[in-house]
Amino acid sequence: MTIQELLAQFGDKYLQALITTYQLTFISFFLATILGVIITVMRVSPIRPLQIAADFYVQIFRNIPGAALLILLVYALPYLNIVLPYFTAVLIATTLIPSSFCSEYLMSGMNTIGAGQIEAARSLGMTFMQMIRHVVMPQAIRSSVLPMTNLLVATMLTTALASQVPLNPTDLTGIVSYINTHAVGGITAFLISAVLYCGTAVIIGQIGNQIDRKVRILR
Amino acid sequence: MTNGTISIRDALYESPGPKAKKIIAAATVLSLVVLAALIYLVIHQFYITGQLDSRYWSVFARASTWRYLGKGLLGTLKVALGSSLVAFAIAMVMMLGRLSSIRPVSWIAVALIELSRGIPTLLFIYFFFLVPSQFGIMLPVYWKITLPVAISASGVVAETLRSGVNAVPKGQTEAALSLGMTDGKVFFKIVFPQAFRYVIPSLIAELVIVLKDTTFAYVVSYADMMLNARVLISNYDALLAVYLVVAVIYIIINYLLHRAAVFMAGHRKTAAA
Repeated sequence: MTIQELLAQFGDKYLQALITTYQLTFISFFLATILGVIITVMRVSPIRPLQIAADFYVQIFRNIPGAALLILLVYALPYLNIVLPYFTAVLIATTLIPSSFCSEYLMSGMNTIGAGQIEAARSLGMTFMQMIRHVVMPQAIRSSVLPMTNLLVATMLTTALASQVPLNPTDLTGIVSYINTHAVGGITAFLISAVLYCGTAVIIGQIGNQIDRKVRILR
Repeated sequence: MTNGTISIRDALYESPGPKAKKIIAAATVLSLVVLAALIYLVIHQFYITGQLDSRYWSVFARASTWRYLGKGLLGTLKVALGSSLVAFAIAMVMMLGRLSSIRPVSWIAVALIELSRGIPTLLFIYFFFLVPSQFGIMLPVYWKITLPVAISASGVVAETLRSGVNAVPKGQTEAALSLGMTDGKVFFKIVFPQAFRYVIPSLIAELVIVLKDTTFAYVVSYADMMLNARVLISNYDALLAVYLVVAVIYIIINYLLHRAAVFMAGHRKTAAA
């Protein structure tokens, strides 16, 4: 099949698939960031049980394979009388996994600030909140631009999990197996999805680099 | 965290006074209660749906269950090992290409690395699952999962190797060149052995990515741990229990790999100091 034939026949389906992938990516990324911040606050809090629980959370979700998590959410939870719509199940999986990585990036970002600066801030008589607002956050946010762009790309790649459940409209990976079972799409069908994924990743990377160049702290 | 350096976690708070101590103690108790309540809720949900019933968990009292899962794990490890080796080989070529002084070669390498890093593993898997057969190429099931996982990891590995090469001081290259070594000799005898040692921790950490991706082996019906779990489930009707245990096994393996990477990184730092 040539690319024109394929687009004429499945063009609108590709568009819907692209929208599904973008939807999942951006909603998950947004939720994962919020969750990641909450988890990180728990990890640096002086309250021991919260630290342990948050560390545990991060180790679970950074180490669980996406397929295993999705299977648990879709096929195992109904045994506990919890039935999730497919889209929600995918969304939860693609939020929980990136949220643990988000917390790891934030932690390592905070660690680059160095204890010396905190000690200096304290000797200037800053309160805890002043330290967080004027010393920790400005540096942490600036140095987290590149990790966050990587996280956004990683989240997009994780959303390919959506192809493992029947979803309508399906995502960019699901559409390829759909076309290949309904017609002989061949390499072209893959190429379109691949270009859309990769193009998005490159654009995200470029925007991230631009922002990073503006706010980067030279050490 | 170790070796006397203070982590940010410790540095953020000064030693608490009597008032702060009381607040922290109260918050600790409160958080313990909330966490206990959460755990209770989960166990309660298991209980009222009958999932704690011994008939679901007795599967794991049989040696045959573990033998079967172990066989699956062996399949998983075979794919992971094969993928890692292939990924490393591809990554070496990509990295050498990217560092090449011939412009078009390095452009092509950059494009390939971006492609590998910007496309989900599942898409590569579907490609190897669906396309070769359309051209009459019969790929063994093992390679249908191993090749896509390898290709998907190769871009990341290539960038890791490149960062290692960049970390080797320029003086090393200059010294080696002044001794009359050829470019190839300088790279493979002087630069790369050091670069490789720098990136060992990152490479171990990247094994986690490979191991996670092997769980998609069920797409091509390769008998890994996930697929064998599914067979167990159809035999014993204990879906929740089996998938939960399998997920925990994956988490433990990946966690150990992660610890190994952290350990190697710490080991290298102390060795260098």
